[in-house]
Amino acid sequence: MPQDLPPAGGYGPVQYKRNLPARGFRPAVLLTGMVGIMTFGFYKLGGGIREHNELAREKMWSRIYITPLLTAEEDRDLVRRHYADLAREKELLGTQTSAYNSDRYVRPTFAVTPSKILK
Amino acid sequence: MSARRPVFNQSVLTDSTPLPKEIPAVEELGASSAPLLSASFFIGARCKDYNDDFMQCKTEKPGRAEFDCLKEGRRVTRCAKSVIEDVNKHCLTEFRKHWQCLDDNNQQLWQCRPAEWKLNKCVFDNLKLEKVIPDSPKGEIPVHLRPHQKYAHRGP
Repeated sequence: MPQDLPPAGGYGPVQYKRNLPARGFRPAVLLTGMVGIMTFGFYKLGGGIREHNELAREKMWSRIYITPLLTAEEDRDLVRRHYADLAREKELLGTQTSAYNSDRYVRPTFAVTPSKILK
Repeated sequence: MSARRPVFNQSVLTDSTPLPKEIPAVEELGASSAPLLSASFFIGARCKDYNDDFMQCKTEKPGRAEFDCLKEGRRVTRCAKSVIEDVNKHCLTEFRKHWQCLDDNNQQLWQCRPAEWKLNKCVFDNLKLEKVIPDSPKGEIPVHLRPHQKYAHRGP
């Protein structure tokens, strides 16, 4: 009685590997594309930062140019208030006494409110 | 400017005593922030010497600068006022367009370049004052003259 034997020429190959299709670009192409996109992005970012620095410089100089003007106006106002304070003190107390042991001008922390409102 | 100012919100509590007679009066500028920003580079161009004088005086007299630099301060204010008056006289429409644009755009200078170019041209033609940003890098177009403003929402 004949035994079961492999067919003549042997069995066909057994498919043990997965047969998934390789879709999309090659990894090298993908990597190159990513590097390109990021380079472009950083280039644009750098340009934006440079422009931003220049805009900040412009804004700062515009402020520098009007700072003396604003300071002068505020100084006049402070001096006006200071002399008004001194006059008020003279009127109320008859003396002019500084609370500070120096000639430096000190910005007032407290302001006198009138006891009765005239207007 | 950083200290708290002795001012109350109520108008009746504001000290309105004028300056003593021996200090000469000067007319205040009376411009709000947007016109000042718009004219700042012209003020800087014409009044640089007065501004530097004033700031030097402030530096050299610490503690008494408020009283001792009043004269320089008046010069600064008069000079700035002359600039604003001249701009108003010669370039009123361009000036108004520009600072109203600044007011409408959060005072961002880069949103208002077309109006600014017109104002700069008019001021340069009439008053010979030019907007120059100091210390900007050499070999580049100054940022206020670039035809494409990267941060502008619309237009250049």
